[in-house]
Amino acid sequence: MIRLLIPFVAVVLFYVEPVFGLFSPIEVGDKLRFLIPRFLIMFLIFVGVYYSRQRALVYAIIFGLLYDLFHIDIIGLYAFLYPAVCLLAIWAVKHIHKHIAVVTLITLLLVAVLETALYGFFTLIGFIGMPFGEFVTTRLLPTMIANSVFLVLLGWVFKSLANRRSIQKREGML
Amino acid sequence: MPQFFSNKRLILLLVGVIVLVALIFFSLRDRDHANVPEQIVKDVVGFGQQLFSKPAHYITDLVDDVDSLLNTYEENQRLRSRLVEYAAVQAELSDVRKENERLKDIVGKEDDLRDFEPIHASVLARNPDQWEEKVVIDRGESHGVKKNMAVMTADGLIGKVILTTPFTSTVQLLATQDPDFRVSALVTGETEAFGLIEGFDTERRELILKRIDSAFEIKEGQKVISSGLGGIFPKGLLIGEITEVTTDDFGLTKQAHIKPAADFSMLEHVIVAKRSSTAVDGSDAGNTDEAMDKTADGGKDGDGS
Repeated sequence: MIRLLIPFVAVVLFYVEPVFGLFSPIEVGDKLRFLIPRFLIMFLIFVGVYYSRQRALVYAIIFGLLYDLFHIDIIGLYAFLYPAVCLLAIWAVKHIHKHIAVVTLITLLLVAVLETALYGFFTLIGFIGMPFGEFVTTRLLPTMIANSVFLVLLGWVFKSLANRRSIQKREGML
Repeated sequence: MPQFFSNKRLILLLVGVIVLVALIFFSLRDRDHANVPEQIVKDVVGFGQQLFSKPAHYITDLVDDVDSLLNTYEENQRLRSRLVEYAAVQAELSDVRKENERLKDIVGKEDDLRDFEPIHASVLARNPDQWEEKVVIDRGESHGVKKNMAVMTADGLIGKVILTTPFTSTVQLLATQDPDFRVSALVTGETEAFGLIEGFDTERRELILKRIDSAFEIKEGQKVISSGLGGIFPKGLLIGEITEVTTDDFGLTKQAHIKPAADFSMLEHVIVAKRSSTAVDGSDAGNTDEAMDKTADGGKDGDGS
């Protein structure tokens, strides 16, 4: 049962992201703020940290590709960024600490890195001409706030899910 | 401290990065066509997305219903006062319509740029990273949707179809930064003025109508509709209202800021307008590239609208 639960949650999060995207942008204080849901990558980081690095990377590549094909029409953008962010997170957690608060902080930090990397990419190919300051106030900060609320609410679920799966696997091996 | 990567992994990673960068550039070159594997993925993912979007729409509809129920009394008062006016306008409209038909018969004009066949569609997903203003809708080639068709809501024009698969299509919204996205527009009023919607002012959330002949008088508050002269969009779709008139950078033509009539942020149900009179094919064997500056509208691929 738990075996299928991790891919299932990943699929649900993949589909839920664009639904949340429909509610954005919202107007706060005369300015439109963009809230970009990054649920899937946060979940994958948790899977990578608490369960298996290999599995997390495989999911990251598959869902990254799907994301590219369905939403972006540039193949290879998310298919590269998702696994890269996962690897960075796992590496960072290994060298710092595995406590959930630390993992949550690192995850949020890496969501910011992902967002900034995308900003850099789209600026580079000339799709957008947004000054960096505006990017931070109208996109990065609202996105960070929204995603941190999500992660604080559901981070422990992700953790227990990944933990249970890894315990189950260890028992199966013994 | 252990090494981050062993040599073998480093090589693997490098190869992976090179392949992905190659893929990115390969797919950037040709973004407005989906090849067969892409189409299959889009349709399958789109089908799954429906299972999640439909309930979400249902819930937001419910909330809207409750909201409008609370305002019923006030609204009723307001509407009743307008009902008297409405009857008179209705009578006049039917009279004018009949006369219009009769005159058309006399002239022998059958095709009308205004006629279009509506295709109703639901929004499946909005590009969640929102760098590009795109939505995916649940109607595709098999329902008669073609590239470059106009897409609107009940309020007005919102964008055009840029990519189709058998069961889904991708719509680029007017609020895009893409410089190739142009719509041939018409300022209505006593004297009509033509212009091109080119670009979007992200700060003011308003469209920019450019290349209006400076001989034309336009002022704030006038309505802007699609002109149908681009060859693909039907005529008469409401785009918005002029909020400010200025001259362009060179002082040769006028430009105006337009407040869009439709709201781009909460999209649920949209209408794809399939023009009844002959639509001009979006591509013209690459001639548009050379003539891009001369043509009235049309982007890099001649995707005028």
